Amino acid sequence: MDEARRARLAAWLREAAGDASLVIDHAALLSGGAIQQNWALDVSGGRAWVLRTDNAATLAVSHGRAQEFSLLRAAHAAGVTVPEPLFLCEDAGILGAPFFVMTRVAGTAAGHRVVRSEALGGGREACVRALGRELARIHSITPPRADLAFLGTPPDDPCRAFVADQRAALDRQRTPRPVLEWGLRHLERTAPPPIPAVLVHNDFRTGNIMLDEAGVTAVLDWEFALWSDPHADLGWLCAKCWRFGNDAEEAGGIGPRAALYEGYGSVDDARVRWWELAAHIRWASIAVDQAERHISGVERSLELALTGHMVPGLEWEILRMVEARDAA
Amino acid sequence: MPHEEPLPADLLATARDVLLNELLPALPPGKALAARMVANAMAIAARAAAQGDGAVPGDARALAAAIRAGAHDPGMPGHAQAAALLDDVTRARCAVSAPRALPR
Repeated sequence: MDEARRARLAAWLREAAGDASLVIDHAALLSGGAIQQNWALDVSGGRAWVLRTDNAATLAVSHGRAQEFSLLRAAHAAGVTVPEPLFLCEDAGILGAPFFVMTRVAGTAAGHRVVRSEALGGGREACVRALGRELARIHSITPPRADLAFLGTPPDDPCRAFVADQRAALDRQRTPRPVLEWGLRHLERTAPPPIPAVLVHNDFRTGNIMLDEAGVTAVLDWEFALWSDPHADLGWLCAKCWRFGNDAEEAGGIGPRAALYEGYGSVDDARVRWWELAAHIRWASIAVDQAERHISGVERSLELALTGHMVPGLEWEILRMVEARDAA
Repeated sequence: MPHEEPLPADLLATARDVLLNELLPALPPGKALAARMVANAMAIAARAAAQGDGAVPGDARALAAAIRAGAHDPGMPGHAQAAALLDDVTRARCAVSAPRALPR
């Protein structure tokens, strides 16, 4: 962050916080996601904040910072463990893009470290039980909500809406994907009945959940949230493609599925399994889009290029899941 | 004239060994992930150079549309054939991009 931006930011924060003597002691870029920039701000008075803003190239399917701020506020009010949202700035003139500021939370999110640890989150069983409770709190947020109007009208049938959305995404891609079609057709044939839509985080997985040795310290990355079947979040967390290699622990590579379900409350396991196949298809489609950003030149990146090469492995898993489900 | 040997797969495999065995240990820890990604990209490229392309035989777009329309559902005459074709193509694609996804 250059001097001019930092000075504009400090002035804006003085106003927003109602603290004329506020000083930014330190600003450092954190390792962020592919879509956002996260800055650690150390602010006078011992305040530790995170500033979240957009990278130059962003995925069209993610919410902007103002929407993410509203989601964080709704989650915070519902008792979900999230950083406290503090200030939103929609004026791109300060930093070049809208941003918001939230409290900084300590912990570890990195997937490969989390799945190897016996201690993070208070131990494997306790951790996934706590994750179940977090999801139940998220799913207590139900439409209609004026503050979440940007999420649009909830679908009458979230499972069929998912299939339609994924087909629309495939139709936007350059290359036909017969295996993803195979999986989607199976999902269409086996879709469970309609269920009332709730707030679904839609990226609730190992890697996006910050933990310390006492438990969950923050549920992060709300930008894909939508109204859908609550089992979608359970399926995304349990999907084999998000276990970071620790396949035996079915809840995110962290702990046993049964403990997750216990923490959550009432779970329809068959619906979760449907959403686990859905998760593989959605992740494959996202991986195709990420590789396309590299191929098209929008954002040249080795990481994005390699993400594209995850697609065949996901397709193999999709074929095996469909085969097993059709044989059952 | 044919390309001069050693061919791309050999060059990439040899260069990858240098990267992993000589360069990676000398890099600062913050650059290890990038070096491993480079090694991964070289391994994929070497396997692709050795194998050739993994395209679906015939018209992939027509196959995708037929699957979506239900023409290859279980119980339909073409189901087993379509399933076998997708398996074969995906196995070949995994052999290049993600060999560890396949059963040993």
